[in-house]
Amino acid sequence: MATNKGHSAVRLLWSLLIPAFFLMAMPALTGVGGLRAQESGAAQADPGPPNTLGKRSDAEIWHDLRLGAGGIANPPTGSPEAGSVINSEGWEWAKLRNPEKSPIVHYGAWGLLAILGLLVLFYLIRGPVGHGEDSGRRILRFRLSQRIVHWSVAFVFILMGLTGLSILFGRPFILPLIGKEAHSILLTAAMQAHNLFGPIFALFLLGLFVHFLRGNFPSLVDIKWLLKGGGFFGGHAPAGRYNLGEKAWFWTAVIAGGALSVTGFIMLFPDDLATRNTIHLSELIHAIAALVMIGFSLGHIYLGTIGTRGTLKGMVDGYVDENWARAHHDRWLEEELEKAESGDQARETAEEGA
Amino acid sequence: MTLLELLEGPLWIASASIFVAFAAFRLIVILFTGRREAEARPAGSPFLGALRTILGHFLPWRRLLGNGKAWFVTIAGYSFHIGLFVLLLFAAPHVEFIREKIVNLPWDPIPRWGFILSAQFAFAGLITLWLRRFVDPVVRLISRPDDHVAAGLTFIVMLTGCMALGEQSAFLRGLHLGLVELWLIYFPFSSLMHTFTWPFSRGFTGAMAGRRGTRA
Repeated sequence: MATNKGHSAVRLLWSLLIPAFFLMAMPALTGVGGLRAQESGAAQADPGPPNTLGKRSDAEIWHDLRLGAGGIANPPTGSPEAGSVINSEGWEWAKLRNPEKSPIVHYGAWGLLAILGLLVLFYLIRGPVGHGEDSGRRILRFRLSQRIVHWSVAFVFILMGLTGLSILFGRPFILPLIGKEAHSILLTAAMQAHNLFGPIFALFLLGLFVHFLRGNFPSLVDIKWLLKGGGFFGGHAPAGRYNLGEKAWFWTAVIAGGALSVTGFIMLFPDDLATRNTIHLSELIHAIAALVMIGFSLGHIYLGTIGTRGTLKGMVDGYVDENWARAHHDRWLEEELEKAESGDQARETAEEGA
Repeated sequence: MTLLELLEGPLWIASASIFVAFAAFRLIVILFTGRREAEARPAGSPFLGALRTILGHFLPWRRLLGNGKAWFVTIAGYSFHIGLFVLLLFAAPHVEFIREKIVNLPWDPIPRWGFILSAQFAFAGLITLWLRRFVDPVVRLISRPDDHVAAGLTFIVMLTGCMALGEQSAFLRGLHLGLVELWLIYFPFSSLMHTFTWPFSRGFTGAMAGRRGTRA
């Protein structure tokens, strides 16, 4: 009898201890569930406001999670985002990226339109910049490899620009015009092409950097060119192989293009290269760098085509007229003529020696 | 019948038939028209000359090895052609289409990253080679409108193919297929025929040179 009574007491003790153990261990074992368990425990003690599940509101639970509570292993342990359930910074990014309200979309669109307007205005007031009559003597300005690299970058840049702008401005500007279905097709196509051509752009940009670096470092003559307003408003502005405007474009293309390439790669491989914050930052930098580069390229395209007579020919055939060079790159022309003259002299000396 | 069904059915059969019939006709004409026998005594072996030219022209000329232009054309040419043929024969959507419409290919498709990389090589090569036709004065002079149409059409076909990569839109699939069909119809009547004629043209030139005891 005594033994039976002892067994009953032990069974009673265990039957109380086991549930108590699980109740105590629950918060530690279940993360978010633990929060819920705590609440329900608290709710039993204090039912809280009517029509709620507990004393603490959902907002408080999410607030705790936002500050790192929970311990849910999603994203999994080992990933850059391990233990982070909610990314608060994402709100800021979402506000900046909101297609209807984004300042990037708003100011970007106005900025590009303003540049286009200024170019049209400049063309109407100033007209194309000339260099008088052609001399009939030509001088090599760009080698074949430079021309191929230049046009390769231009070709891919235009493709990337058109697809990128469709992605950035699609929802506020294109969708109302063509409807949801056509817009979704356009965006799918644009995104695939944009992603595929991105690495090709980076490769060509590297080629551009190597082929055009020489002559694009700052020099004193750039100050004179700047003080003369680049010769766009009358008078002659001296310049070497490249003028200050061309140098500014080169370095903008390299820096903005480099930023586009790096951030583009991050967005192409988000799981391997970045956390969500880095991806958000990359997307913002990508959009801003793209707008800067597209804006600058509009000026470059204008000056390279209808804005300055004879310039396009130099990038297609490689040769420019000597009077063109004298008007726009006089210091460079002098150097080239000196080189040619010293080459001729050396040849004559060699011939005389022979 | 929807437009896509039309493109995947009757129009596909019609364009593929035009491609096969006229490409075969041109090859038969090239092979069987013949030419007048050379009467001069041969100074060398036409066979060896042909073989040497067919194989030798896979590399830049030895005398041009130090020339950047020759390397550029060689590398861009390989990049484009190898990339394009990998895409054509090993890309998953193409393998599926060929198995469904033509023949049960015995190989597995390449993974998606292989597709992307091949497309990038092909595009980089095609863009630079095509642009060279505009900015190299010599190549510009010998380029005919057909060369530009062939390059442009190939580019558009590849571009729409890549735009349809998401496989989310019947319109994009139809657009790509429609352009492929246009490309197939244009193919036998254009410089695109070099896909099949290059061994014959190289071989003929090499054989003539070999017979004269020189190199092509």
